[in-house]
Parts: sequence; structure tokens; C-alpha cells
Amino acid sequence: MTLSSGIVGIPSGINKAANNPDPGNNVRRRRVDRRVWLYAVPVVLVFTFVFIGPLIYTAWTALHETTYYQIGEFSGLNSFVDLFSDPELPTQIGTTLVFSLGALVIALPAGLISAIVLNGLHRFKRTVRSLFLLPWLMSQAIAGVIWLWFLNPNYGPASSITTSLGFGPTDVFSSPTSALIAVTLITAWWSYPQAMLLFLGALQTIPGELRESLKMDGGGIWREFVSITLPFLRNTIVSVTVVLLMLYVQMVTIILVTTRGGPLGATETLSMRVYNQTFLDFDLSGASATAILLFAVNTVLTLVAIRFRRKEAL
Amino acid sequence: MIKKRWSLALATIAAAGLLLSACAPADDSGGDNGGSSGPVTLTYWDFLDPSQDNPRSNALRDNVAAFENANPDIKIDLSVVALGDMISRLPQAAAAGQAPDVFKMFTPQVPQMAAAGAYTPLPADALAVDDWLRPADTLAGPDGQQVAVPYEYRTCALYYNQKILDEIGATQPTTYDEVVDVAAKAAAAGYTGFGTGFSDTDNSAIIATFFDCFMSQVGQDIWNEDGDVDYAGDKANEFGDFLADLRDANALGSSVVSDTYSTVTDGLANGTVAMAVLGTERIVTFGTSNPDIKWADLPTASTGDQTGATFGWTMGIGAGSKKIDAAWKFIDFMTGADAAAGLAGGGEVPTRSSSYDDPYFTSPDADAVNSIAEYVESNSEPHVYQDNWIALATGLSQAGQELYLNGLSGSEFISTAQDAATK
Repeated sequence: MTLSSGIVGIPSGINKAANNPDPGNNVRRRRVDRRVWLYAVPVVLVFTFVFIGPLIYTAWTALHETTYYQIGEFSGLNSFVDLFSDPELPTQIGTTLVFSLGALVIALPAGLISAIVLNGLHRFKRTVRSLFLLPWLMSQAIAGVIWLWFLNPNYGPASSITTSLGFGPTDVFSSPTSALIAVTLITAWWSYPQAMLLFLGALQTIPGELRESLKMDGGGIWREFVSITLPFLRNTIVSVTVVLLMLYVQMVTIILVTTRGGPLGATETLSMRVYNQTFLDFDLSGASATAILLFAVNTVLTLVAIRFRRKEAL
Repeated sequence: MIKKRWSLALATIAAAGLLLSACAPADDSGGDNGGSSGPVTLTYWDFLDPSQDNPRSNALRDNVAAFENANPDIKIDLSVVALGDMISRLPQAAAAGQAPDVFKMFTPQVPQMAAAGAYTPLPADALAVDDWLRPADTLAGPDGQQVAVPYEYRTCALYYNQKILDEIGATQPTTYDEVVDVAAKAAAAGYTGFGTGFSDTDNSAIIATFFDCFMSQVGQDIWNEDGDVDYAGDKANEFGDFLADLRDANALGSSVVSDTYSTVTDGLANGTVAMAVLGTERIVTFGTSNPDIKWADLPTASTGDQTGATFGWTMGIGAGSKKIDAAWKFIDFMTGADAAAGLAGGGEVPTRSSSYDDPYFTSPDADAVNSIAEYVESNSEPHVYQDNWIALATGLSQAGQELYLNGLSGSEFISTAQDAATK
């Protein structure tokens, strides 16, 4: 693309049009500009309604006293002071990171491997794809209930299996460590098909000629993965990481159904804290303060992930 | 070009209109009706699912149908809402002006829902009813106004599996110390000796109701005069010591930390749990699901008392309801003589003396519910609850988790539970 000599970065054709002294052209351009705003208005309205508005309302609520769901007097930063002086907060942030990164570390490779397997299949592709997608087709609540039943120490199938093998019943939700591992695994199991679908789409854009030329040069499967697949998928990996991280940091339903944050608060992530403050403690102001912190955590994690993408793009 | 501009403007207006309509309050279906005349649709939240095939669900379905037949101008729009959801959704719905016209609520949670603004005060007709078997004015909001009426009565009872007790050579325990001994033997034989649960996924239902009954037995008030949770002391420690003794005897289930009311009842029904303290509403259900399950008076505490707390489900009118007369008509029917036989057939104890005039209650079919009603009357007393039951119940389950996992003593359990409730 040639650049104009005067204004760096603007294609010469557009620059010429901008310098065109034809008054009819200018009028048409102004009309086009106005029309762009008309197109933008619905998007701006929706964005304001579903994002900016609730965000401002959440901040507003955090700055006021609340009684159940009624907003009372202005209380300044009291809710934030309470939040950051809560000795349980560091543990909850740690739990959030362990849960989110743990689920990511499992779901990301699982999704990638599933996608590569699916991409290489020539028979029964649709059937296998449907089977791989099954967990994601369930609602989070159903997924939680199924695993709760499966792992039930009294009548769950998992318990029957472990008991018959001489290991005793499964009690995964009865100890803090195993409960956190269990909800992390369940969440990863439920969400990996989302990663798989995105990877599968990206894999199908890799030109076949590259693989063929690698084979002619004597490259094996590992070399193909390292030299072709991974570089092509790098931006997709970043996108999937961002999507999954946001999902995990905000996850409530699976934790709510299986452990509700217990035992001993071992699975109480920041999102569960928001839920418990809102619906158990009826502390809307405190929950709003936590939600703002959660938003900040989510933003930081997302920006870190996106940074990798930008470097690649440059 | 002009056409395009107009179409863009119309599209923008339509989008804005859609957004605004999404913000608009929902229409009151059935129209406004302050009186009982004219067609009215009442929204009604109940935790029971009438599509299920069990005695209590069948009774609900039949009673709602009977009410609609008797009142052709009033339709009931029933939504099945689990108690946990109801507790979180009612205050939201009330704040948004979307509370149901009628809803059921568990007795200990009535004051909290009243404080959250979920109720409309009962009309004069409701307050004029004077044949409740137990005082109903305890079901009040922060201003002292009665907001609900009792729908069914229940209290705690000891359930035990006779087959398991026979197998281990034990007899039905009559004191809490004996419960620990029998539970230890049952545990040694491979059963869960005593079923309870420290999970708060179901609002800590099993441990909280047991605690409520135990405090009645030992004569310990749960709240002080200011309405704050304040029960820690020697009497309450007896409850903590009982749980600690069960733990030390390995008589609690290995999954007690994650067990709930339903997992314990399932365990009793399928013969893996030897004993449990549960509500009397399960008596009829257990009678059909597992005949080995027997029930008895609560074991005696150190005071020698066996009197638990009277609680149960209540019915009230939702905040902002414009159909108060029709709503009360429905509640009056559901708590009155017309619905009593169906209610009793489902194993629930009717709450009004006039209900027992129905010929059903002199028939052999009513033997079970009559014996439960007598037990509730002789072995329980109602008391006033405060508006912090959820915190109290959650505190108990969290302390229970610590008792089992971190080895708290009985008194540490009690002080931890109280601290958690008042945090």
C-alpha cells in the first residue's frame, strides 16, 4: 500500500479525496459521516444499557449503605475499607487464581488436543465432534448436579467403583483440598469444548501445502505441531485464554451447586463471595465493592493475556 | 437516499423502544382486583412441585384444583421455587415490585423476609381467625404486624432404623448419651451411626432445625432482647458436646461436611444411616419408603426435657399485591377445613382446630397424621424467631465443618457458630 507524502499512515487515495476541492464531494462525505453516527447509536445505547450503566450503578451502590436491596445513605469508601480489611480476602483472591488458572491449564490443552484429533479424523467426524461437545451443551447447573450425583459417597457410581476396588467411598466434597480440585476439574470438563471449537476453526485455516512441504523435508508430527500448528494458533490461544479466564473468574453456578464455597471456605472464589454477600448476607453494598474488585482482577488478567496477542500482531 | 435515512431513523427508534420496553414493569395478568369479584390470577410460589408423584405434591395439586373449582373467578399461577431460591429471590422481587401474590415460607425465615419487605400485612379477615392450634402472632415483621399464618406444623423427632438396631443388638435410645453409644455400635458395623449434615448448600437446614429443637429442650434462648444471636453457654455447649462425642466415636458420616437434609433422608430411606433427628413431616414418607424406619420422641437432654420447637411452613401475601382479598381467600382455603384432609393425607399436620372436624380425621386413614398432630402438640412449643436466621444457620454449618475437619471441642463449636452468626 502506498502512503501519501504528507500524512503518514493514510492511504494516498483517501488523502487525495480529502484534498478534493469538489464541494459536492464534501457534502456527500459529511452525509456519510452522519450516517456512521446513526449506525453507531444503537450499539452505543446497548453498550451503555448493559455495561456502562450497571458498572456505574454497582460503584454507586458500593458507596452507599444498603438494607437488603434498598440503597440508603452515602457511606463513602466504607465498603472498600471493610473489603480490604477482611482477613479472608487474600485467601479468596488466591482461591480465585488457583481455580481459574487451574481450570485454564486443564481446559486449554484438552481443547487443543481434542481439536487436533477432530481435525485429523476422516470418518465419524460429526459423531465424535458431538460427543466432545456434550459437556458444553449442558447448563452449568446440570453439569454440577450430574457430578454431585456421580461423586456422592452414599449412592454415586464413582463411590461404587472405588469401594469395589477397595479404596472406600468418594468423599471429594468433604475436604477443602479435594473439593477445590473437584470443582476445578468439573469446570474444566464443562468448558473445554468451547476451547476445542475455537481451535478447530483456527486449525482449518492452516494451509495444507505447509504440512505437505514439511513432510517432504522430513518433518514429523512434533515438528509440524511446533513449527506450523502452534505459530498459526498463537492468536487463537490468546483469545481462548481470555475467554476462558473471564469465564472462570466469574464462575458461580458450578461452585454454587456443588460446594457453595465450602468446606471451610476452600472453594469461595471472589465470584462466590459476591453471591454469598448478595443472597446470604443481603449485603449489597459489600457485594458491589467485591464486584468492583472482581472486575479489576478480570481486567488485569485479560490485559496481560491480550498483551501477548499484540506482540504477535506487531 | 431519503428512504434510507427514514429507515435508519425508524430502526434507531425501534431499538430504543425495545430497550425501554425491557425496562417496563410486567403486566399484572388477570387484571387488578382488590376485591374477590371478577377474574383474578394469583401468582403463587411454593417449594413443592405438584407434577411430582408423592403424597405432599399430590395433596398440593388436589387442593389447588379444589380451590379453583370452588372459586371459578380465581386462577392460581403456581411457580415451583426451592426454598434457597425463594429466600434470595423474594427480597429482589419485592424491591422490583414483582413479588408473588401468595408464597410459602419456613417459620424461622418469616421475620427475615418481613424485614426484607417481602410481605404485605395480613388483612383484617385473616387477623380475625382465632382457631389456630398455636399462637400465630409470632409470625410478625419488625413492626410487630402479623404477616403470615401457619400452613402446617412440625417439630423434631428421632428416626431410627429398627433393622440396623436389631443387627447390632441395640434398643431405641432415649437420651443423647445413649444415641452416641448406639451410633458408635452402628458405625462399627459399617453404617453411618447418626445422620446429620454441615453443608450450607441447602441453607444448613438439617443442623439448624436440630439446633433449634435442642435449644428448646435445654431451655436456652437463641437471641437476646435486642434480637442478636446470643446463645453461647453451658446449655448450648451440650449440643456441641453431643456432636463432638459423635465425631470422636466415628459415628458421623464420613461425608458429614457435605451432607444435607436430603442426603441424610436418602441415607435413612436406603438403609445406610442408623439414626437421625429430622422433622415430623417425613414420618408418612418413611412409612411407605422403608418400613424399617421408626420414629420416637426426641432423646432427653440433661434437663430431662423432650420438648422441641414448633415450626413448619407458613403462607403470606407478597409485598405490593393488588389482590389482597383474593389472596387471603386462597390462603384461608389452603389452611382451612376444605384442604385439611388432603394436607393430612400427605403427612402434614393441619394448623386450625376447625380442620379436625372433617370426618377424615376420625377415619383409620388419619391415624398416622393424628398421632403426629398429638406429638407436635405435646412435644413442642412455638417461639419467636428474629430476622437473622440465615446467618445463624450458616454459622452452625460452618462451625460444624470446623468441628469435623479441625477437631473443635463442643464449646469451641458453639462459640465459633455464634461468632460466625454475629460477624
